[in-house]
Amino acid sequence: MARMKFYCDAERCIECNACVTACKNEHEVPWGVNRRRVVTIKDGQPGERSISVACMHCSDAPCQAVCPVDCFTTTADGIVIHNKDTCIGCGYCFYACPFGAPQFPSDGAFSGRGKMDKCTFCAGGPEEADNSPAEFKKYGRNRIAEGKLPLCAEMCSTKALLAGDANTIADIYRKRVVNRAASALISGSNLQKTSFQPTLVPPELEGKASATE
Amino acid sequence: MKKMEENPPQSPFFKGGGCAELRKPDRSHSLAPLLCKRRGWGRIFFLLLLCLLLFAPGGRAEEQAVAPPLPPVNVPSPGVDLWNEIRGREGTAADMGQVRTQVQGVDTGVLINTGGQEWREYRMQTLIPNAAMALGFVALAIVVFRLVRGRIPIKAGRSTHKIKRFSKLQRYVHWTTAALFVTLAITGIFILFGRYIVIPLFGPEIGGPLVYGLKRIHDFAGPLFAIALVLLVIFFMKGNMPKLLDLKWIAKGGGLFGGKHASSECYNAGEKGWYWIAAIAGAFVVVSGFVLDFPNFEQGRNFMTFYHWIHSIGAVVMMSVAMGHIYMGTIAMEGAFEAMATGYCDANWAKEHHDLWYEEVKDKAVPADSIEQASDPGVDSGKQKVV
Repeated sequence: MARMKFYCDAERCIECNACVTACKNEHEVPWGVNRRRVVTIKDGQPGERSISVACMHCSDAPCQAVCPVDCFTTTADGIVIHNKDTCIGCGYCFYACPFGAPQFPSDGAFSGRGKMDKCTFCAGGPEEADNSPAEFKKYGRNRIAEGKLPLCAEMCSTKALLAGDANTIADIYRKRVVNRAASALISGSNLQKTSFQPTLVPPELEGKASATE
Repeated sequence: MKKMEENPPQSPFFKGGGCAELRKPDRSHSLAPLLCKRRGWGRIFFLLLLCLLLFAPGGRAEEQAVAPPLPPVNVPSPGVDLWNEIRGREGTAADMGQVRTQVQGVDTGVLINTGGQEWREYRMQTLIPNAAMALGFVALAIVVFRLVRGRIPIKAGRSTHKIKRFSKLQRYVHWTTAALFVTLAITGIFILFGRYIVIPLFGPEIGGPLVYGLKRIHDFAGPLFAIALVLLVIFFMKGNMPKLLDLKWIAKGGGLFGGKHASSECYNAGEKGWYWIAAIAGAFVVVSGFVLDFPNFEQGRNFMTFYHWIHSIGAVVMMSVAMGHIYMGTIAMEGAFEAMATGYCDANWAKEHHDLWYEEVKDKAVPADSIEQASDPGVDSGKQKVV
C-alpha cells in the first residue's frame, strides 16, 4: 500500500489561497472551518515564504493518542480519519495537534463546539458507503474512493503543494532540490542571499577551515 | 570454488555477529581459494579461527586508524532559518508576530505548536496512570481500613437524646454540592479514562454518544457546582478555622488507628482538612473549569492546556479525598450519616467524636422521639435536657 503524504514546497507557494478555497468548495465544510490554511512567514519582508498547512496525517498522530473516545483511525494508506458519530467535541485533539488541523464548527459557551472537523485527505469518513449523502454531509467528498488525489494539491497552480504516495513525492522534491542546488552553483551563491536558499559557504566562514578553529 | 558457493547459510561466518555479517562478502571472496583446500569439520574449524582473528577488536581499531577523521565543516542546513521561523523560536519573525494568514481564527498563524506534544505527554503518560494509581490507592486504603478496623460503632450505644448539628440550609447546600460533585467526578472520570473503559466495553457506536452525553452534563454541572461550592464554603466556614487543637488531633491520628480518642470541637482536623481542600482545590478546579468550559473567548490552545493541567490535578486531589470523606460519612461510622441526613446527631455519638463541642451544646439536646414527631426539624428544641 501507498503511504499518503502532503508536502508543501515553501520555495514555490505563492500564497494564492486557492487550496483553501478549493477545499472549502469541494467538501462544503461548515462556516468558520478551514481544513487548510496558508501561513506566510516574514510577510512583506525579504525572505518571505508561505506554507499551506492542513492535517499532516501523522504516523503517530497526537490527536489519535489523546482522544478520550478513540475515534481516530489510520487507514492502510496512512490517512488519519475520524468518526464524527463517536466524537464528543471535547477539543483534546485541537490541544494536542501541532498543526492546528482539528477545528470545530462553533465556539459556543459550555463547550458546545459540535463535532470536530479536519482534513480527511479527501478520503471521507470511516463508516458510511463511499460518497453516500450521509458521508458527504459529515466528511465531504471521498475522492480517494474515486481514485483521485486530494483536490488542494491537484489544482495547485505552482505545484507547491504535493499530495500522494510518499515515495513519489520524495522523488519529485528531491529532483527539485538538486536542480535548485545546481542553479545556485551555476549562477553563483549570491542569488537571493537573504532568503532561505542554500548558500554554499556561509559568509562568516568564507576562506576559513573549521579544523583550524 | 563451486562447493563454497553452495554451502553458505550454515557458514560459520554468520557467527561473527552483526558487524561481521555486513563485511562477509568481501572476506569470502578473498579467502575462497584458501578455504577450498580443506573439507568438512576441519574447514569449519578453520573458518571459525579466521573469524576470531579477523574480527577481533584489535583488528578493527587498526582499520579505523588508517582513515584520518574528516575535518568537520560547519555548514548550516539550508532549511534551518525556515524551520526556526516555522517553530516560532525566540528571535525569529514568527516570535515577533511577523506571520500572517488569511484564515482568521484561534491560533491560525501558528504553523507548529510545540506545546501540544508536551500536553499529550502529560495527559497520556503522567495524568492517566497517576490518576488511576491515586484513585486506586485510596480505594484500596479504604478497603484495608475497613477490614482492619471494621465499622466504628457508638461505644456507649444510642442515647435517647439528639443534638442539632447542621441547619436545614447547611444540609441543602451540602447535598446540592455533593450531588453536583459526584456527577462531575463520574462524568470527568469517563472523559479521562473513556478510551480505556467505555469504548472497549460498549464499542464506539454506543460509547461515543454515551461519553458525549456525560461530557455535556459535565459542561453544565460545572458552573452550578461553582455556585454551590461558594455557598458551601460560606455556610461551613464557622468552626472550620484551623486551631492548635487540630495538631494534637493529627498527632493522635484522629483516634482512627485505635488508642485513645482525640478530642475535638465541632469539626475535627480531618473534617477541617477536607473543608479546606474542597475550598482551595475546588477554587482551582472551578476557575480552570470555566476557562475550559467557555472556549468562545478565543483563548489559545496553550492557554487552555495550561488550565487543563490545573483542572485535572485539582480534580484528582479532590476525588481522592472525597472518597475518604464519603466512606467516613456513610458506612464507616455508626451515627455519622444521620447528622447530615436529618440535621441531628446522637448525643452519645457527639460525646465520643466531638467531645468539646458536646460540652458546649449538650444543654440543647432534645429527646429522639420529639424530632421524629415534628414535621419540621428546625423547631425550637432547646428546652429538654440530657443528664
